[in-house]
Amino acid sequence: RSLLGDLTNAFSGLMSSSNGSILSQQQQQQQRTFIQMGTTLKVVDNSGGKEVMCIQSLRGKKGARLGDIVIGSVKEAAHKVDVKKGKDAIQKGKVKKGNVVYGVVVRAAMQKGRVDGSQVRFDDNAIVILGIKEKKKDENGKEKKKKYAGGFHQPLGTRVFGPVPHEMRLKKQLKILSLAQHLV
Amino acid sequence: MRLVKCWFCSSTIYPGHGIQFVRNDAKIFRFCRSKCHKNFKMKRNPRKVKWTKAYRAAHGKDMTQDKTFEFEKKRNRPERYDRNVTEDTLKAIKKIDKIRSSREAQHINKRLKPNKQKIFKSEVKEIDQNINLIKAPGSYQLDSEKTKVLVSTNKSVQNEAMEE
Repeated sequence: RSLLGDLTNAFSGLMSSSNGSILSQQQQQQQRTFIQMGTTLKVVDNSGGKEVMCIQSLRGKKGARLGDIVIGSVKEAAHKVDVKKGKDAIQKGKVKKGNVVYGVVVRAAMQKGRVDGSQVRFDDNAIVILGIKEKKKDENGKEKKKKYAGGFHQPLGTRVFGPVPHEMRLKKQLKILSLAQHLV
Repeated sequence: MRLVKCWFCSSTIYPGHGIQFVRNDAKIFRFCRSKCHKNFKMKRNPRKVKWTKAYRAAHGKDMTQDKTFEFEKKRNRPERYDRNVTEDTLKAIKKIDKIRSSREAQHINKRLKPNKQKIFKSEVKEIDQNINLIKAPGSYQLDSEKTKVLVSTNKSVQNEAMEE
């Protein structure tokens, strides 16, 4: 993949007109891979966030797949609603831009194998925000050291949009399953 | 376990084969192999791609309406297991398959058979246009009445001279 990136850079240096067709050909048959650091994911609940960039995948060396939990930074959140009377704009939703959040991947463009042998893939990468990662405070060092171990966070939002796969059941994200509009 | 049809080519997908693609509007597209999947990604319309069943059905190449197809319809009600029913169903599947494939072959044969009316019309047209190429039936009789022509001896002398 990096090789291809270098090649396209070389091409763009030489020719600019024919580069478009080559790029579009490559884009048409994309090789979908893991969700890793830098991957932007769509937020599909009503927690307030719109787009999250993955900072760390909590499972797998190569990255996260469908059903895995990632830590991300909120890049885009729901706009602040201006209240006429007061000066401060009310933040719509629980999540602000710049928050570091936990999220579970509910839709992945990379195919995932199922127990019956079939493969499933979705149109985009989407997460449901589980919880906001709090910054470690030095004063109450031990208290604030929230280690992500054992207990699963509950989704922060109250609605989930779009199709949700059955893999959530295995990952014990039952609340998301119950909130889902469509189960795949 | 359920056997499903490929969205692109309409062939049956057996367990362990192919990819399911779930679109964001929750519509599921199942593909039997990467060929169909890639064609879908290219946004090709299966009704225009010649090797798919959708094309053949849309263009009347294959049989589409027959009672044998009704046996294969998707039923969402689970059947209570009954050994006899299962046995009979398995036998019936084989028989229905045989009947259906023979009927499909018949349909194709019929389609490929030369159309008699068409041929007749074309032949009539050909005769009308090219009647000048055919000898009149009456003229054959005239030919048969051969006339004897006497050849003079002078010509034979000339031939001998040429031979030398």
